[in-house]
Amino acid sequence: MELGSIRTKIEQELSSVKDLSSLNQFRIAILGRKGLFSELIERLKSLDKEERRNYGREINELKLWAEEKVEELKTHFEMEEKRRKELASWIDVTMPGAIPIVGRSHPLTQTLEEIVKIFTSLGFSVAEGPDIEYDYYNFEALNIPKDHPARDMQDTFYVRPGVVLRTHTSPVQIRTMESHLPPVKIIAPGAVYRCDNDISHTPMFHQVEGLMVDKHIRFSDLKGILTVFIHEMFGEKTPLRFRPSYFPFTEPSAEVDIGCVICQGSGCRVCKNTGWLEILGSGMVHPQVFRIVGYDPEEITGFAFGMGVERIAMLKFGIDDIRQFYYNDMRFLSQF
Amino acid sequence: MRVPLEWLQEFIPLDMEPQELAKRLTMRGLEVENIEEAEFSFKNVVVGNVLTVEPHPQAERLKVCKVDIGERAIPVVCGAENVQAGKKVPVALIGACLAGGAIIEKKEIKGITSYGMLCSEKELGLSDDQSGIFILNGDARPGDKLETVESLRDTVFEINVPPNRGDCLSIYGIAREVAAIMDKKIELPSFEYVTDGDEGVEHFISLDVKDLDACPRYVLLMIKGIKVNKSPYWMRRRIIKCGMRPINSIVDVTNYVMLELGQPLHAFDYEKLKERRIEVKVADSNLTFRTLDGQERGLIPGDLLICDGHGPVAIAGIMGGENSEIGEDTETVALESAFFNPFFIRSTARRLGIKSEASLRFEKGIDVDTVEYAGKRAIYLMHMLSGGHVLDGKKEAFKKEEKKRIFVKYGRINDVLGIILSPEEIGRLLASIDINVVGEEDEGFIVSIPSFRHDINEYMDVIEEVARLHGYEHIPATTPVTSIQPLISSKKDRFLSETRQYLYSAGFYQVINFSFFSRKDLDNFVIPDDDERRKCVMILNPISKELEATRTFIAQGLMKNIAYNLNRGSKNLKLFEIGKIFIEREEGLPLEYHSLALAITGRERDYFWKGSPPEYDFFDLKGVIEGLLRIFNLDVEFRKGTEPFLNSSVSGDIHLGEEKIGWLGEVKEGVLKAYGIEQRVYCGELMFDKVMKMGNLERKYNPIPRYPHVIRDFSFYIDESIPVSKVMGMIKEVSPFIVSVGVFDMFRKERRSISFRVLFQSYEDTLKDEEVNKIQDEIVKRLTAIDGIVLRS
Repeated sequence: MELGSIRTKIEQELSSVKDLSSLNQFRIAILGRKGLFSELIERLKSLDKEERRNYGREINELKLWAEEKVEELKTHFEMEEKRRKELASWIDVTMPGAIPIVGRSHPLTQTLEEIVKIFTSLGFSVAEGPDIEYDYYNFEALNIPKDHPARDMQDTFYVRPGVVLRTHTSPVQIRTMESHLPPVKIIAPGAVYRCDNDISHTPMFHQVEGLMVDKHIRFSDLKGILTVFIHEMFGEKTPLRFRPSYFPFTEPSAEVDIGCVICQGSGCRVCKNTGWLEILGSGMVHPQVFRIVGYDPEEITGFAFGMGVERIAMLKFGIDDIRQFYYNDMRFLSQF
Repeated sequence: MRVPLEWLQEFIPLDMEPQELAKRLTMRGLEVENIEEAEFSFKNVVVGNVLTVEPHPQAERLKVCKVDIGERAIPVVCGAENVQAGKKVPVALIGACLAGGAIIEKKEIKGITSYGMLCSEKELGLSDDQSGIFILNGDARPGDKLETVESLRDTVFEINVPPNRGDCLSIYGIAREVAAIMDKKIELPSFEYVTDGDEGVEHFISLDVKDLDACPRYVLLMIKGIKVNKSPYWMRRRIIKCGMRPINSIVDVTNYVMLELGQPLHAFDYEKLKERRIEVKVADSNLTFRTLDGQERGLIPGDLLICDGHGPVAIAGIMGGENSEIGEDTETVALESAFFNPFFIRSTARRLGIKSEASLRFEKGIDVDTVEYAGKRAIYLMHMLSGGHVLDGKKEAFKKEEKKRIFVKYGRINDVLGIILSPEEIGRLLASIDINVVGEEDEGFIVSIPSFRHDINEYMDVIEEVARLHGYEHIPATTPVTSIQPLISSKKDRFLSETRQYLYSAGFYQVINFSFFSRKDLDNFVIPDDDERRKCVMILNPISKELEATRTFIAQGLMKNIAYNLNRGSKNLKLFEIGKIFIEREEGLPLEYHSLALAITGRERDYFWKGSPPEYDFFDLKGVIEGLLRIFNLDVEFRKGTEPFLNSSVSGDIHLGEEKIGWLGEVKEGVLKAYGIEQRVYCGELMFDKVMKMGNLERKYNPIPRYPHVIRDFSFYIDESIPVSKVMGMIKEVSPFIVSVGVFDMFRKERRSISFRVLFQSYEDTLKDEEVNKIQDEIVKRLTAIDGIVLRS
């Protein structure tokens, strides 16, 4: 057979090959051990030396050409196959993903942690005391003797004579000073209890108490530390004011107000139209308290402060009902 | 304390806006909590001048009045008896709206057309008085809208007076502070009355104060021949504005003067005093006494009483008795103005649970110096309102005391406050509130304290006044000069923080419940009688039965949270709470522990399009606890559960060595039912204090192995009486090359089959097949030697 027509035939047949498997069949038929070229080479044996060489070279060239063509086509089909597979694995990227289920901390914990972080960065250590407390620590040592009008300020849960659920975290001040010599720099976060249950009161809530006592602590230092705290907690531009107040265990006492975070001071329901919000109570430790814990009030001065965690959390998150903290409604908890 | 500004102005003219005054008072420590503007609920009511009053031709009881309402005069039919020509009255015009919402219309009343209505105070919502038409002051102008009439317009400050500032519980007291703010001085109102020269008080009554410590001052004044009637509108209005109720022209005066000056007074009906004498004495026996509110009060030794020689007629400073009360027919009044020792008032008032306006003031201490003045002021007003003759003189007992004097060092003031004020400035500030420098010595001064300031007792109190007067806003904000100390960071805080972080990432939400629960919760959880959790601390004055005790375990709270959320459509929950529990004990304070409770219910999510997420089960919760305890390097053992509120087949006790530190499992259906829960809940609670005590957060580096590990799987039939954890422990013990043993399959047909995956690892060499085979044979040999374990082939 004429080699030229073989070439044409191969070309024709290749053009009708449509996929990998028929290409494979074709390869076996042409290039296989018993294929066309093997047959042609077999035929060479019957030719003389000269002819064999010339013809053999031509066959070889043709075979290389054919191999190349087959290889080309194979790559082409393989690419096509890959593309087809890729298309088959198409997904709609707009289908919902599997969002990992993670929990969250309670907003009170978040607020508490933030308060604690600010004060520890200012050099305060964390102290604690029992929730069920002696009347002595909760009242008497804080300069609130029996029948003192200040006891009316707090409705107390009694457990038995002389034992109460602490109405504030202030007893921790006494316990800490009793067991440590000055300087003392502590904060005491914890639950406190008052016999009160309505739209703006829960029988349990949380406070953070603070105490800084040393040789030369001044009222102006109280202003300094609490100003730093409020600017860290509510933002540097938050206006604040200190105004005279009364607590039996501090003197002078100061209530600290911040500019209303809801109305920016223009007056609203939350700030009762005053533009200010009470945020914490504070003052210089009363000399009587120092005497009770065995410090010399002529030698030692200091300040103390206390704040309600719920109140701060309500302002920070814009929560309008204190009871929400204790319903533990998932629709509430999952917002923080 | 409610302060009508119109009243305050009587003592000191206010040359600033109420808002500004409120701000300045607040910055002085008298917080103005609310500024109440007068609000009138009527509309279109004007001042009218009654021109003529004629009887109604058709109705005997009615009158026809011609009333000038400015531009014109209108006929009005009226039934009240107190209408007289020449009186100024409120006229509700046609279309007017009254306090109750009634609209006035043109009305024909028995043939005469009425073009409006004359109103009583009640109809205008000004008071409860409906005895007649409200007669206005003579200076009211006909035609003016009623709400513009000066004596009606008023702003009231609600001032939060600190408990130590009893001296500010009066209009005069507040005026004193306002005067100091405005750098002015004020004076007590002056008045005069004529007494009946012939008969002095001493002819009518005798006074015997038995204990001058309990009652350092007592003044008795008398007026006779009075006629008790209704007080005039201006007085009643002020009393109402201050939050009290008008009663009659005698009682109102006592309240009025108390509000004005801060001195509580008590008026006795002289005729009802049996022995014509007043004795002030401390009770020495138990007795009962009916106070003027009709209540029987039990009195005990130590209570301070006012007696008439026969028996008590008042509980001193707290409440008068029914037996000597002023009535409509009272003619002679014996008026008490006194200073009682606050201690007596406080203890008796608290015990009896009475908080009267009088006791409130006596408790905090009043001004001993104005006792007589206030009494006279009241007598003057009584005479003015009720007529009669004032008796000459007084009966008085008075234990006079020196004014308090306090020594303060100048330097100390500046040191404590962090300011620099000269002695002169300090003296000037203090003088503005009547604290006067009376001597100087030793770089300090002696100041005298006015009799009304019971809150100033030592130098720090004086420093506070300086700070207050100087203005807190003028004290700088400074950085404390103090030594640096290392922070004390507690192990507890780190444990709590690690636990929380771990649980959040494990999908748990933190809840915070009250520390309270009810004994019913113990019953719901079928806690046995001898269980420690029964030893709850009972609250003597609980808010409700649900909050009657402090909790002894937390899981009950989580049940309530689950029920709450299930009822609101959240079906898949993973909750934890870490908080205190309280165990009562014989002596000392109750024990307080930290406890951690976890609960899961439902499934990870309701649905997912790739396949339905499985429901949570026991092992989901167990895994969380195992993982948590691993953080603290704790190797615990899970034993068969013993808690009565858990399904005994699906629960476990958590042991650390021999000590039980917690439990977990499926909550029994009966328990769930008690909380209204209708789906399976798995719950666990750990004694967190034990975890903190025995655990640690140490981390030690293990070199990363450089040689490949080998994995082999084994399957055995294991009898159900043999705990799998034991088998896993046995496998691990076979060779140090075994670094982990896991369970990758479990099924139950006739027998229980468990498949283990064991990981072999050497740190020194690549393990050879023969070595692993040898260990493998040993594992099989050791396990199958046990009765109940068979190799699955």
